[in-house]
Amino acid sequence: MQPLLQDFLDKWVYPTGFSGPGVDFRLRQTERCIPLWDKLVTQAIQSAEQDLKAVSDEWKAARARAGYAAEGPFMSIKQMSTQILSVTVDEQSKYIDLQRMRARQIWDEVKHGQLHADVLLRGGWIKREEELMNDARANTQPKLSYFGMTAMFPHIHPLARAGQHYYIEAMACLGISATLSVIDDPLIRHQLRSQEAEEMMHFMEGKYQIDAYALTPEDQKPIEEVFDFLLRPWVSEPSRALGGSA
Amino acid sequence: MMPGLKIDHEKCTECRMCYVACREIDINAVIVSSTPKHLLEIDERCIYPKCTVCLMYCPVEGSIVDANSGRSLVPPPPEVWTEEMRWPRTAAPKCA
Repeated sequence: MQPLLQDFLDKWVYPTGFSGPGVDFRLRQTERCIPLWDKLVTQAIQSAEQDLKAVSDEWKAARARAGYAAEGPFMSIKQMSTQILSVTVDEQSKYIDLQRMRARQIWDEVKHGQLHADVLLRGGWIKREEELMNDARANTQPKLSYFGMTAMFPHIHPLARAGQHYYIEAMACLGISATLSVIDDPLIRHQLRSQEAEEMMHFMEGKYQIDAYALTPEDQKPIEEVFDFLLRPWVSEPSRALGGSA
Repeated sequence: MMPGLKIDHEKCTECRMCYVACREIDINAVIVSSTPKHLLEIDERCIYPKCTVCLMYCPVEGSIVDANSGRSLVPPPPEVWTEEMRWPRTAAPKCA
């Protein structure tokens, strides 16, 4: 196992404040995630090492455009906002804290798009952010159904999204750590460090919601189905922004 | 009585995970301060070290510290999340 992954597991995954079926369920799903998390760390390190050897700086722009496509208003509206809507009025009192966490993430994701635009602006690849609207590389990304199926998860059950938070946001955290361990460019490091804590918070949303709320088979089933979907090899390819090839 | 934990505002991102967790177990020791920045604070209702739940879900290293020693408790050191320190969760979430 990659040392970065072991460190992440020991510090952020395994510590838990609760005992019970939610924690047991999360730890079982964690065992399914670990091989793919390990693969992601390996890929991210290799990708960063390759970028370091590049003759030009284009790799920085490529990462930023990919990040802009995957994060920003699209992510915020299509994924985060729909999650708020997954909680019915009758369920508000039960899931109000979950909604507040997701409401915060609405802002986080919009801001993350700005961080990627900042790299392109300050690096001189664009003069104004509006130029990105005409650049397909900054507006498309190949992750399967990223803004389709994965935006539909919340409509199944208010907790369903917790599976995606847990698995995907862990990859965001690991991708950031892996890239920071290699890349010394100040522009890229600034962008990664600026969102590091927030990605960890998004991971913690998933961890907390599963530990605290996924207590019955009925609550766990939609979350498990999310893991079933996301852990297929053709879904889990990480974004170029995090060191993958997607 | 002084709370056992303190928030380091240089590190804290105000994500409110500690507030949510503390509220969920009905201790309610994390409050929003009545200052223009609305910073989160931990008050005397905190029962640390008997409870360490907030430490398990805080996402920022160094955000919550031992109020006496200043030692960072995020990420939580192994001795603060032993089996007997966990809150059992077998019931459905509370309703407001």
